Parts: sequence; structure tokens; C-alpha cells
Amino acid sequence: MNGALLVLRKEFLELSKDRRTLFYTFVMPLIIYPLIFFMMSMLGSSDAAARAGRPSRVWLSDPSGVLAGLLEEDPGQFQAVPRPPGDLRQAIRDQKLDLALEADPDGAGKLARSETLELKALYDNSDESSKLALERFKARLRQREARWVQGRLQRLGAPPQLALPVRLQTEEAGGMGLFLGKLVGSFLPYLLMIMMYAGAMQHGIYATAGEKERGTLQSLLSTRLPRTQIILGKLLYIFTIGILSALVNLLSMALSLGRLLASAPAGAPAAITGVSALASPPALGLTFLLMVPLGLFFANFILLGGIQARNTLEASSALTPGIFVVVLLGVFSMAPGIEKLAWLPFVPVLNVSLAIRKLFSQQGNTFEYLVALAMTLFLAGLMTWISTRMLNRESAIFRV
Amino acid sequence: MIRLQDLHKAFLVKDKRTRARRLIEAVRGISLEVRPGEIYGLLGPNGAGKSTTLRMIAGLMRPDRGSVQVCGVDTVRRPEQARALVGYLSTDLGVYTRFTPRELLKLFGAFQGVEARAAERRGMGLLERLGLADFADVRMEGFSGGQKQKVSIARALLHDPAVVVFDEPTTGLDVLTAKTVLDLLRQLRAEGRSVVVSTHVMPMVEAVCDRVGIIFDGALHGDAPPREILDRWGVASLDEVFFQLAAGDEGRPA
Repeated sequence: MNGALLVLRKEFLELSKDRRTLFYTFVMPLIIYPLIFFMMSMLGSSDAAARAGRPSRVWLSDPSGVLAGLLEEDPGQFQAVPRPPGDLRQAIRDQKLDLALEADPDGAGKLARSETLELKALYDNSDESSKLALERFKARLRQREARWVQGRLQRLGAPPQLALPVRLQTEEAGGMGLFLGKLVGSFLPYLLMIMMYAGAMQHGIYATAGEKERGTLQSLLSTRLPRTQIILGKLLYIFTIGILSALVNLLSMALSLGRLLASAPAGAPAAITGVSALASPPALGLTFLLMVPLGLFFANFILLGGIQARNTLEASSALTPGIFVVVLLGVFSMAPGIEKLAWLPFVPVLNVSLAIRKLFSQQGNTFEYLVALAMTLFLAGLMTWISTRMLNRESAIFRV
Repeated sequence: MIRLQDLHKAFLVKDKRTRARRLIEAVRGISLEVRPGEIYGLLGPNGAGKSTTLRMIAGLMRPDRGSVQVCGVDTVRRPEQARALVGYLSTDLGVYTRFTPRELLKLFGAFQGVEARAAERRGMGLLERLGLADFADVRMEGFSGGQKQKVSIARALLHDPAVVVFDEPTTGLDVLTAKTVLDLLRQLRAEGRSVVVSTHVMPMVEAVCDRVGIIFDGALHGDAPPREILDRWGVASLDEVFFQLAAGDEGRPA
């Protein structure tokens, strides 16, 4: 093991000499995430504020005048506009209009006869301004509707409760912590895996195929260090870099997210409670425990691809698709209802996603966690055994 | 002492055109001995099997058949012990360019089990001998090929090996650097080390080698002092031996 540690030391010493790479690996994530989150929050809040402060542009066709005054009552929320020329749908898509309303031509008559008034609303669900216009209109209509219902009840001599057979009272059982836990748990494993794999990949290629390309591998192999120790040293390096990359990225992201949530004026206390619930040491510790064998599995995969390749380009081409595999697995693990699949705890890599997801959702299942841990440990061990055997081969080392 | 007995090594190669796999015999039954205080020149054109032979001596490759012993240690049975006795220089000028020569030598000292202070002392002594002491603390990124070669030589000799295996040590070097390398080889011989060098630079062979073996197509043709080889083949230069071998005159002298 001493030889492996010597090789690990050599790799880190080499990395420490490259300040730019160090900066991009460990400092850049600490800058980039706060910057991205800050810009996103700035853009998002300024856009939302601009929408909220502007009245929705609504065209209303109401020949019977049943909705008269509805829009005009609140000029801060609605601006009645004339019908734009051409197709109404296209006008909404072109954002010339936020909402188009067409009331029944006999609306007033139907209302007087206690019939149902037909009202058509045309909006664009993909446009925030259009959705806001519909919400505002629905809220305004609900008030008017309540008045109409009360009028009808009065005419019938019925009590106001007649139209209110049940009043539903809801209470939040999960709280902000659980909500955030489920949210974070759904994408955290996916992010951890991508960061770990992508973070380790380039360093792994440099330490394997790069050594071949630069002609330094033979000098290393000609020393008295056993070849297995050299391979293990490189494996440890790739693994450590992967774990460190994931941790630095996560730390930066968590800090940025925490700051963003805490700065939200409306939900500040709840958000802070939620974030602190996420940072529960047992959940984080158990997540880290799962990530160790998974990181080792990834490191072995990168080591195999790197040493088998003739040069860094070949290694890079061979290992990059691995990112897409991780992305696909991540997307699959985020699918709603996936946790109900009985066989999922037995699928390698995916079971780690599921276990982490459940940890953060406060639904941790000891059996499933242990299965995921045991399987990933077994897989990592198997891959290490394969790596050391395969990379001991001259055909891998001297492949040029 | 180096002893090679009936050494064989073959590689499986794939024909790009026919996609058929075939076995190429890179080394075919090579046997030789290099005594302490002797420089043995392994001559041959590119692809003759020189580097493969040297890699087997250095314990980087395992022979398919036959055996290699360095100072009585079998390179297959006890590879780590054998490698500790060998100072190997490959044809690649590969050095870890992010390091300074001092840092690199310290690191390889640790790899070779040399105590840190001893590695520093010996490393600096070697750099001095090779005329590179002034660059001991300069990062090697901007080093010339010759400077990198000198650092590689110092790296190969750092652990005071009894056997020195240099693969084409003067190829691509300027006349002055090549002379430094040749002088060093003579010193190593004077220190009683067994030295094997591969080359296809004939003047180098004539200048330093005590004995030469000519490798052609994986097999050894002749194993004698350079003058004797010329006399046996009846030629004026070693180049002509190659030409005759290439012309299919393999069996001419015994």
C-alpha cells in the first residue's frame, strides 16, 4: 500500500504544480454557482416584478354586457384592449394580448333565467404573463360569481350555506423541510454522480493515457514499485479527485441555494428551517457513505478506459459517453413513482439514487439502503479486481 | 551481470486491411551475457527487436519463453527485486515537466526506496556530472530534448543500479550532449556496472562499446567486439553489416 500512496502523492504533487487546473477544479465552482444563482434570482425577481406591476392586456367580447365593469374595476390588474387584427391565437402567441375572453351573446339573459353562463378564455400556458392574466381574471370572476350565487339564493329564500355544503380545512403535515428534502433528494444523487464522474474524468485521463502520451509511464513502471501498487495509486487519485470535485460543487451549490432561499422575503423563516433540515448530519453522512463505493466504481471505469487508450483523445472519446449514461440514469431516477418499482433497489447505481432520495425524503429504508451499499461495494471491489488484472497486461500498458 | 537465455517474445497484431490477426515474433531466441564493467551495444534497425529485448531486461515485459537474470535475479520470478537493480532509460524523453529536476529526482528516490537525503545528494551529484546543476530548480516545461534526456539519465541512475539499460540514449541529441552521455557511459563502465545500450548510431558503438550484438528481425547475429565483427563480415563499417543482413545474407559469418 505504501507504493500506492507514493503514486497518489506524486499525482497530487503534479496537480499542485498546475495552478490553473487547481483553480478550475476547486475554486471555479465556488465562484460560478453563487454567480449563476445570483443572476438567476436577479433575472427571475425582476421579471416577476415587472409582470406583477403591469396590468394584463385583455380583449373581452361581451355583447350582452353581463361582465360589464369587471375589468374596469381594477385598472391596476386589467387593461381592456381592442381586438387585434387577424387570428386571436396568433396575437396571444405574439404577446400582443395576454388573454381573450368571449362571453355568451345571451349571457345576461341566461343569468337572469338562472341558467349557466358560457365563457371562453383563450390564453398561452407557456407564457407567464398570459397565465397570470388568466389567474387574475379567475380571481375576479370568483368574486362576481359569489355575488351571483348569493343573489340566486336570496331569490329562492335559501340560506347562504346552501351553496356551501362542505368547508375543507387543510393543514401541511410535511413542512418546508420535507418539501425541500424531496426536491433536493430527487436531483441530488443525479448531480453528485455527474459531478463526481465529470470531475474525475479529465484528471483520470491525464494520469493514465496522458502518461502514455507524454512518455512518462515507462519510467514509472521501471521503478521497483509493484505494478499493482501503481495502478492502485492512480485509482486512489482518480477516486479522491472525484469525491473532492463533487463535495466542492455541492458545497458551493448548497451555500448559494441557502443564501438564495434565505434572501426570499416571503418564505425566509420556513426556507431557513427547510435548509437546516436538509443539512442533517445523519442524512449527509449516510449519503457520503454511499458515494464512496460509487466513486470507486466510477474511478475504476475511468482508470480502465484511460489505461487501455492509446492517447488522451482516444481516452476522452471513450469516457465521455459515460457522462450521458450517468445523465440517463439520473433522469430515470428522477421519474415520478420510480421508487415504487420493487426491483429498483437491486439495480446497481440506480439503487444509490433511490436510497439517497429516500434519505432526504425522510422515508429511509434500512434494508434498501444496505442492499444499495452492499451491491455498490461489491461492484466497486469487482471493478478494482478487474482493473488491476487487466491493467497488468502488457497489451494495455504498451498499446501504442 | 546480465544473462539472457533463449529469449522469445511475440506480439499479436491485427492486419488493418485483411482484419486477420497474426503473431509477430519480435525476439527470437536471443542469448547473451553482459559482464560487470562492460558496455554491450545492441545494434539493429528500427523494429529489429532492440527495445523489446531491453524492456525484458528492465522487467517491463515478460518473455514468452527463456529467461532474463540481472545479478542472478530472475526478472519474471522476482520482478520488483530485479527492477531495483536496473537503471532503465527508454526512448521516450518523457519527464514530468511540471516538476523541477530536483523534485523529480526526490520523487523517484522515494519510488526506488532511496532515503530522501541520500537521493538528494546522489541526484545533485548526477546533475552536476551531466552539467545540469544550474537548472536543478527550474521547471522542466521549457527544457530542450537534451536537457530532458540528461534528467532522465539522472533519474535512471539515482538508485545506484548495478545494471544500466539505455535505449538509444544519444538519438536526437546534439554533438555536445551526446559526448556527455558517452563520457557518462564510460564512467559507468569504470564503476563496474553492466551496461547495455541499443542504438543504430554506428560511431557511438565504435566509440564506447566493448562488445556488440547485431539484432535483425528479432534474432541476434554475432556477439563480439566491434572490430571482430567487421573482420568476420569483411566489411569496413557496421552499416555494411546491416545492408548485407537486409539483402538476405544472414548466415554469412558464424
